[in-house]
Amino acid sequence: MNRLTDALAAKFASPVRSTRLSVVLGRWLAFTFMVCFATGLFSHGLQNPPGWMFFLTRPIWIYQLTQGVHITSGIASIPLLFAKLWSVYPELLSWPPVRSVVHALERGSIGLFVSASLLQVLTGLINTYKWYPWPFPFRQTHYWLAWVIMGSLLLHIAVKLPLIAANWRRARGPADTELTTPEPADAELATAASGPADAELATAVPEAGRQHRVRSGSAARGAASRGWSRRGFLAAVGVTTGAVVLGTAGQSFAWLSPVNFFAPRKMGTGPQSVPVNRTAADAKVGPLAQHPGWALKVSYRGKSRNLTLSELAALPQTEHELPIACVEGWSQTARWRGVQIRDLVQAMGAEPESDLLVTSLEPEGAYRLMTMPAVYTADQKTLVALALNGEVLDLDHGYPARIIAPGRPGVLQTKWLQSLEIL
Amino acid sequence: MKTPIQHPIPESAPESEPAVSTPKFGTGVRTARIVLGLLGAGIAVYGLLGLPSQLGPAQLLGLLFWLACGVLLHDGILVPLTSLAGAGLNRFTFGLGSASAAVLRGALMAGAMMSLLTGILLRAQSVARNTSVLEMNYLTHLAWLWLALALGTAVVIYLLERRAGRRLSRAGVSQQKTRS
Repeated sequence: MNRLTDALAAKFASPVRSTRLSVVLGRWLAFTFMVCFATGLFSHGLQNPPGWMFFLTRPIWIYQLTQGVHITSGIASIPLLFAKLWSVYPELLSWPPVRSVVHALERGSIGLFVSASLLQVLTGLINTYKWYPWPFPFRQTHYWLAWVIMGSLLLHIAVKLPLIAANWRRARGPADTELTTPEPADAELATAASGPADAELATAVPEAGRQHRVRSGSAARGAASRGWSRRGFLAAVGVTTGAVVLGTAGQSFAWLSPVNFFAPRKMGTGPQSVPVNRTAADAKVGPLAQHPGWALKVSYRGKSRNLTLSELAALPQTEHELPIACVEGWSQTARWRGVQIRDLVQAMGAEPESDLLVTSLEPEGAYRLMTMPAVYTADQKTLVALALNGEVLDLDHGYPARIIAPGRPGVLQTKWLQSLEIL
Repeated sequence: MKTPIQHPIPESAPESEPAVSTPKFGTGVRTARIVLGLLGAGIAVYGLLGLPSQLGPAQLLGLLFWLACGVLLHDGILVPLTSLAGAGLNRFTFGLGSASAAVLRGALMAGAMMSLLTGILLRAQSVARNTSVLEMNYLTHLAWLWLALALGTAVVIYLLERRAGRRLSRAGVSQQKTRS
């Protein structure tokens, strides 16, 4: 069996693989994972707020930024994760697979870490496409797997800490073969002078002298006759990561919109130049929203008032430029016009700093009911919007009236309003 | 100019990896490992226990299936395929310098990654129902990307090889002068 695994390891040997490479890639990946985790927790907290949750209404683009960063760093994690796993692939083939109980636990935790990470980044990406080919709920699974991954990451760091510390920096000192590693041009000279094999060996073998593990020993040396260096590999991973980021981040950040060629969303598209996540047809809300007798019910302590569309339009109107930012990462800044929600609350005799229960006309749906914390109700930029970019709201954007508030996830910007209950 | 050391390879090179000389760490590192390990294990268990609180048995089984498939696809197909591609490149880039080979491999890596993303995009596009999602012609964009990569790579490799040729000529001239 040893021979078989050695033979397999030889097949997958590469002089590029080393502990130093894994440590560098691990740093990059840990950074994107931690950014993803922090921004993801913030988004989750806004949607399912614990008692201590803080809500920010300024800057108005706070959620646009955090969720854009969440999705973009998640996408950046994909090539980084592939590269990191490639760098340690021969470890998979090590024999015997389990040497002790502790070793079994370590391998088990790594198996969990790897499988959860692969699933997390790929389902996260596909979720932004509004495509759900899996048999489990995305949001809950994404949330709990994030904890599993972060825990596994810390555990992995704990296990590998001595190796990480030993390879955190490039080796220095008299034995530092980095000093003797030929620059690309030098390597090419050596190639011409003594054949490609020698030149590449001169590049690759010093890795071993630097006491970085060149995985699979002699097999790697055999493969070292051609290929590329660690720096070349890292540069390629950096370029690849940059390419996926540049090609997709324009859905979240306007300054990258001109090079947005591979994101599922594009700014300026959709009705009234604003993309739509849930259409009126999806929500089965068309007839209810277009009913001529529609009125917004506002209630407080047993009193209630029904405001027709013309009555709402007759109230003082305010216009604000606000971004709408979705959990899928896309965002779009637009001009929203409507009634300040704090005016409606005060008209009912309540304090502007009141929580609200907002109900949509949608017959069903996870976001039919929405609770609005007082900080948003009191904000002057929070509107019951009736118009978008100078036109009456499109049906897909929530006609006849919808909520728009600064710094909230798009799913909480309730469309097709039915009632506002002041709590 | 630095002279590369030609490291001799022992005939009986060890099959296993060279031992890593790990520096000795004090109690600080040991403490950090214990704290990180316990914290990590606790957080991972918290996540694992949270899953069944919101997912039913059938959904959990589905999740396990997807977790297993992800690893199998990656470790069983993707990595072996990339290794095969790398082995093929070893022959293809035999005459190129290491910098040129790295540029070629880097371009192929970026193109392959974008192709993988585009493949998923196209599959999602075929089942999309929403009018303002997945609107772009991703296949055309991918074709343009490959064209740009091919042109960019060709130009960079041409420049690198030309520079290497000039250096080689200079080195050859200086060697002749030394001999004479």
